[in-house]
Amino acid sequence: MKYTPSPALSEAAAYLSSAPSLAKVSNTTKLELYGLYKYLTAAPLPQTLRPSLFDMTGRAKWDAWSSAGKTFADRRADAEQRYLNIAQELGWAPSLVAKDTAQEEILPGEVWDEELGMNVSRSPGLGRGGMGTFVSALPPPGDDDTEAQTLHTLAIQGDATKVIQYLARNPLLDVNQRDEFGYTALHLACDRGNLSMVEVLIKHGADPLMKDPDDLTVAELAQIAGHGEICTLLQKSYGSSVGVVQKTQ
Amino acid sequence: MSSPSQTAPNQDTRDTAQEGDQENNFSGSDHGRADGDAAAKAPQASSSKRKKKSKVAKVLNTLRGNEVPQTLVDHVVEEVAAEQGANAPAIDAETVRQALEKMKVMDVLKGKAGVAVREKKSMGEHKFWMTQPVPQPGEEAPIEDGYIEPTKAIEDVRQEPYPLPKDFEWCVLDINDPKQIKEVYDLLSLNYVEDDEAAFRFQYSAEFLEWALKPPGYCKEWHIGVRVSSNKKLVAFISGVPTTLRVRGNEINYLCVHKKLRSKRLAPVLIKEVTRQVNLSGVAQAIYTAGVVIPTPVSTCRYYHRSLNIPKLIDVKFTYVPRNMTLARMIRIFKTDAAPSLPGLREIEERHVGEVADLFARYMQRFDMVPIMTVDEIQHQFISGRGDMDQPSNNYRRPKQVTWTYIVEDPETHRVTDFFSFYSLPSTIINHPKHNLLEAAYLFYYASDVAFVPGGDLDGKLKKRLVQLIGDALIIANQAKFDVFNSLTLMDNVCFLEDLKFGAGDGLLNFYLYNWRTAPLAGVKGINDGEPGKGVGVVML
Repeated sequence: MKYTPSPALSEAAAYLSSAPSLAKVSNTTKLELYGLYKYLTAAPLPQTLRPSLFDMTGRAKWDAWSSAGKTFADRRADAEQRYLNIAQELGWAPSLVAKDTAQEEILPGEVWDEELGMNVSRSPGLGRGGMGTFVSALPPPGDDDTEAQTLHTLAIQGDATKVIQYLARNPLLDVNQRDEFGYTALHLACDRGNLSMVEVLIKHGADPLMKDPDDLTVAELAQIAGHGEICTLLQKSYGSSVGVVQKTQ
Repeated sequence: MSSPSQTAPNQDTRDTAQEGDQENNFSGSDHGRADGDAAAKAPQASSSKRKKKSKVAKVLNTLRGNEVPQTLVDHVVEEVAAEQGANAPAIDAETVRQALEKMKVMDVLKGKAGVAVREKKSMGEHKFWMTQPVPQPGEEAPIEDGYIEPTKAIEDVRQEPYPLPKDFEWCVLDINDPKQIKEVYDLLSLNYVEDDEAAFRFQYSAEFLEWALKPPGYCKEWHIGVRVSSNKKLVAFISGVPTTLRVRGNEINYLCVHKKLRSKRLAPVLIKEVTRQVNLSGVAQAIYTAGVVIPTPVSTCRYYHRSLNIPKLIDVKFTYVPRNMTLARMIRIFKTDAAPSLPGLREIEERHVGEVADLFARYMQRFDMVPIMTVDEIQHQFISGRGDMDQPSNNYRRPKQVTWTYIVEDPETHRVTDFFSFYSLPSTIINHPKHNLLEAAYLFYYASDVAFVPGGDLDGKLKKRLVQLIGDALIIANQAKFDVFNSLTLMDNVCFLEDLKFGAGDGLLNFYLYNWRTAPLAGVKGINDGEPGKGVGVVML
């Protein structure tokens, strides 16, 4: 799992990078800060081989990073707190204005970008980074890893192979079972528009005549969503009885 | 070394602005590596780094021709050896040469491409802001509003432009020249790639720029570009227009920096130059917005989106079907009526300008930071962008239309009781087999005289009225074939967003004031007793 450092961390780091007090700090503290920062923002442990004896600085930094990783393991919040504590000892004060307005609200959609030196959105697929010159969009639903794999979630995800395996593992499963929202797997596959998924479900005996909570058949769902190829498949498999109506929506 | 520009097609582009980014860009060889360590580095380390950089820059800047020059190769070998110790894996000149060729260093030098797309001196950015008259991180909210730096007498303002890196030169863009307007929108639209994963990219039109850059009293010196000296190619642009802003009772002339009309990096030198030009006109404050957090936002608003064309928005992944419903149901939920509902609603005409100006001024009293507009400015903002008036408005849209403004005329008194406006700024949809343009409408200003009647608050009559009014805006936008209607959490917007089925977007917009101190204004969240929004009454283009 990717850890999102808080804006406070970036702020503290920004402060430290130019703090006059840092000049007087011992190398040990500097190295500890370095180790914590890399551990929090780059990776839990160094990703390279330990530098040779001749590269003393590199080796010391590598060791500091490695030590931070080993000390805190997965307790990232503690590591961050440690970093902030040191920063505060060195004169950093958490920003009041930022806390009141921007920062708290920014957290969910944003991460500190080390290269850019500023908060950027972490949403994939949406260009971000400039000074407000991006196009905002509605965020995709979060991938809920905790949600149990059901026939319905698989039908939405659209990986036909996985559904075949799932059905093989659960031979007694009713393919026409409705989910908590009242949809069968075939409703969802036809609505989201995955042709191979529809084929698999039909093969496993999915009922094309069941209506969804809005009183729509699978054929109507496919038609409204504009999945012509699924309408064709349904008609080929079941004839006109599936009710692909020719009216426009 | 992170590998910067490998593939060609977008290369030329992503960088355009960056080339204007002064010294940082020319440091070529040692990019992308050191930044991560900056947080733990002692100050002296960064200054030596800078020295090294300027040395590299010097080497790079003296280069000509297509071959990677030996001096550069030697220099890199030397730097690598110094940095990594003598026993680092063998670095011979040929390896370095090949690496540099692969990186298209010569393209960089010739102004075709830039080094490391995301290259940004993380701390450098903040260092720049530390030198500027803006509230600094950690500062407490001020007790009294006021300037940070006294206004300079015009004769004390630096008279000559700030120096640019060699081979680049300043220019003033003449927005009245169609050729130069085209250069600007080509720079901003075509040559503007934030990152490879971007799905949408603003697409400007000449009409939009005309409208945004030429309000009454605009200064042509505030439309500043950077060109490559040799071929005059436009590589960076920053612009602003004059505006009078009231911030908590103080009325000041401001430079209003367009958020979309500037290069992707507010390169320090561009900011300094536009500030200088503005100071020369006797203006000492500025308002600007950014998606990112820099020192120090006066407010932060979130983008909200009202989906109109559901199948297309799903198709281009602007939005998604929630787990608990079908596309069919989503289409039904977001369907808007065929015609607006408010009696007396009609498109604005010249004869309404005076009344709209008056209504606007009175309504804007509700907010802490608002533009003060003259009748001429009202005319420009709400009427000048109506498009080609010789053509009939077909389904609520004329050729070249940028702004839509509708007023509500009381059927009996014929007085203007309400108005709303929105503007069009489409986005290119990148790499989609079926669609290439996202038609987006952005809510602009609105007002209703219900705000002045007893009980006209946001829990009561005013909220109800705004839901109807902006609801009609949605209907018109949908008829005019917009795919989505966008709005921010400013003005009174928060009260109707939910009722009108807006959804929270993934973008935030931070508001900044230059050389002006004031306590934070309510944006995404309310502050103290203030409701969310409410603090901000400025819509930035």
